[in-house]
Amino acid sequence: MSSTDAPAPHAASDERIAFRGPLQRLLISPEIGALIGAVMVWTLFWAVGSEFSTASATALWLDSAAPLGIMAVAVALLMIGGEFDLSSGVITGSMGIFVGIFAQRFMGDGASMYLAVPAAFLVAGLIGWLNGTLVVRTGLPSFIVTLATFFVLQGANLVFSKRLVNKVIVENINAERIKDFKPFETVFAGKFKREPPGFADQLFLGLVLLAALLVVFALLEQSLVRRQAAHSRALVLLLGGAFAAAAGLVLLHTTDGVGANWLCSILGLGGAAVGTVGFASWRYETTAPDGAWLAPSVRVPLVGGVGALVAGWAITRKLDMEQRREILSIPSQGVKVAIGVAAAALGFGVALHLGLRRVRNQASGRRQSQFAVPRVVLIALLAGLVSTVGVVALLQLTTEQGFRAGLFVGFGVGGVLAILVAKGRARSRSRRCQLLVGLIAASAVVFLAVLVRYDSGSHRFRGGLVGALAIAAAAIVANALVEAVGTKRHAFDRAADTRGRVVGFIGLLLIFLAFVLRIAFSGSNVRTSILWWLIITGVAAFVLARTRWGNWIFAVGGNKDAARAVGVPVDQVKVGLFMMVSLVGCFVGMLTVLRYNSVPAGSGVGKEFEFIIAAVVGGCLLTGGYGSVIGASFGAMIAAMPVNGINYAGWNSDNKMIFLGVVLFLAVLVNQKIRKKAQEAR
Amino acid sequence: MAVLLELVNISKYFGNVTALEGISTTVEAGRVTCVLGDNGAGKSTFIKILSGLYEPSEGEYLVDGTPVKFASPRDARASGIATVYQDLAMAPLMSVWRNFFLGSEPGAGGWFDTTFAKHTAKDELKKMGIDIRDIDQPVGTLSGGERQSVAIARAVYFGARVLILDEPTSALGVRQSGVVLKYIKVAAERGLGVIFITHNPHHAYPVGDRFLLLNRGHSMGDFAKEDIELDELTRMMAGGAELRALQHELGVR
Repeated sequence: MSSTDAPAPHAASDERIAFRGPLQRLLISPEIGALIGAVMVWTLFWAVGSEFSTASATALWLDSAAPLGIMAVAVALLMIGGEFDLSSGVITGSMGIFVGIFAQRFMGDGASMYLAVPAAFLVAGLIGWLNGTLVVRTGLPSFIVTLATFFVLQGANLVFSKRLVNKVIVENINAERIKDFKPFETVFAGKFKREPPGFADQLFLGLVLLAALLVVFALLEQSLVRRQAAHSRALVLLLGGAFAAAAGLVLLHTTDGVGANWLCSILGLGGAAVGTVGFASWRYETTAPDGAWLAPSVRVPLVGGVGALVAGWAITRKLDMEQRREILSIPSQGVKVAIGVAAAALGFGVALHLGLRRVRNQASGRRQSQFAVPRVVLIALLAGLVSTVGVVALLQLTTEQGFRAGLFVGFGVGGVLAILVAKGRARSRSRRCQLLVGLIAASAVVFLAVLVRYDSGSHRFRGGLVGALAIAAAAIVANALVEAVGTKRHAFDRAADTRGRVVGFIGLLLIFLAFVLRIAFSGSNVRTSILWWLIITGVAAFVLARTRWGNWIFAVGGNKDAARAVGVPVDQVKVGLFMMVSLVGCFVGMLTVLRYNSVPAGSGVGKEFEFIIAAVVGGCLLTGGYGSVIGASFGAMIAAMPVNGINYAGWNSDNKMIFLGVVLFLAVLVNQKIRKKAQEAR
Repeated sequence: MAVLLELVNISKYFGNVTALEGISTTVEAGRVTCVLGDNGAGKSTFIKILSGLYEPSEGEYLVDGTPVKFASPRDARASGIATVYQDLAMAPLMSVWRNFFLGSEPGAGGWFDTTFAKHTAKDELKKMGIDIRDIDQPVGTLSGGERQSVAIARAVYFGARVLILDEPTSALGVRQSGVVLKYIKVAAERGLGVIFITHNPHHAYPVGDRFLLLNRGHSMGDFAKEDIELDELTRMMAGGAELRALQHELGVR
């Protein structure tokens, strides 16, 4: 034993892997792709129809996202456990119908809700138990077993509602017809009252500020080497910076107007940067940044990116977002078709030309052959298709607003990408260069924040958004400092890591809390369902990460036989998961029935695929054993946003499903790419 | 040395099929008992009896000198007999530490103490001389040898006194096999009785203290290391006369 106890804590480090900072660790988590996707979809709709970002619109799309999100969380857990439940959609309708009929017809004049709701949960639990037991006992794929349950429930819905209420819809589920309806309505479908502005806003700002500080501290603590003796002069920097930052943020929150916003942002960001430098040099070992400020290879993308952002902003300011008049009206269908065909031909021709040239080059022996002619033709066909879709989409978008959206998203995404490229290149250049680029990247985030702030309808919503983006900017600044000024810790230091992790966790918790408060006290239409969604996601994430059941769920989906061999009760875990999905389905059924006061017999049918898609977009593997419930929640947002966003965008809502399909496909693709890249970076 | 396991005239029949007949051997603490045999020799049946999956049809199975009847592998594990199977019993997408504590998660009331789990897994692997690059990496990214080593370290940590290794080197290359053999030796030096099942005498001979040879369900002898040479072992393994016949058939002179 003595020989194993001997090594110093620093010996625990390993020269074979570079130290992975907290940001890199964050990047390999499965939900990050879904988060990026959700932000992108939100940005798109915000850019197209800026009302999308108002508090009431947000309440609206969150309201339709909540049931989807709650179910997606449950389905994600089941999927991680290696199974599917195709009855998860229809059961929401079944339980709604059950409660409706039970409360109206039981023993002639109906039962109290205090009896009907627990009875519904009991029935749902039984259905889940049956699903799970059948899957475990028969060994049939859950796809088949739950498909059977799906059909049975779908049929039962129709039979019971026709026989008992003579209609294919159960109506009048309300306080007049049902006993003890009110308390349940408050819990499941209540609205939060709008408080006058004041304390809640101050509290929100305070929480966000505190959270940002904690997150920055956590980042530094986990990455840098502690200084032996404190550097007292740095305290001046720290205090000065902190004061400026606080002043900037408070002013930003209390004043309104473009010029003031800019001034306050610059004050806030500059103060935060100076303060962080002060703190970093007070507590940690530092090295002066050295080398050139801007390497030539960094300069081009950086200037280009910043330029694109500014240009995008300037152009979109000039175009009136309220105008929906077509600026490129094409009278006849024939011309539109002709343009589409021309676009296809052009795309096909260009791709074919480029591809064939490449094949010719290979044939002349300059490269190993990778491209064969059939493949080139295939790619060219795809290019033709893409260009047709692009042109048709453009024709659809040719209101002034659409034009503006296209420009804004184009410039915005292009600018951000260029800055990211610059950041990547700066990494291999001088430390000074890294610092500069990091600061500019953070400024770009704040720039976008301010843009959003004065481009959207609600003052409070803007406040919240600025808060969120300010935290992101703070994290980027802290990261830039770690990269450029600090002495990076390569050793494992248990105390510091634990401290950093705990503080970071508290910071994230505060952010969460701040936004829960914001949602609870700001919305004109915010319902309890959103709160339930947050709570259920939080509980599920905790169970998955920090309890033995979470470990078992991963193992049951990852390698059933292995789990059984080490004593995991595999069958119980699976049956439990099926029951959990059904119970959550019942819960969502309650949300819907109390919200809309009626349930059609077909309610929930087809939703099960949306749940599965949300889970997959959120990073769950279809084969089980890997995934995230937080990701599933983001996935639900991605699936729900287009439904409302299309209305705000003024597009024909018939395109909704097409859009949904394309977005979901792209989201999964992006997610997969990110995961692959992150795994390689290990 | 304390005798941990003793098998006396163990037989196993499936209906009219004789899987094993009259097998006897002993496992001592700190010693490696190798079980050698070709495909179909009865090695798998032998392991399944040892690990409590099958009950022997005849014969006595003694643990610490008292006869036992295991109803399930769980019973065998409770008496400190741990089996590391060929398919490794791990979930490839889960991290090393999650796999290490799978089924025996530390922490009270369902809570999983992940900090403790990470550090303990790292320390335990280090004690076995296994230096995992990153305790958070998925088990699927480890090499075959490393995976075997994690499984061995896990069994040792959870109080195994007897370690049964089912063909741990069969799917590995030369260097990886060497790594696993080293860990077998380390486990024995830490006082465990090890049963090493293999069909490769070149792997068995350097680490083994005792050799039980099986052929078509029968014992071809139970030798101490000093009683047998590697050549003799190899010859018996290959089935002596059968190999000579094969050489004749292949035209080797």
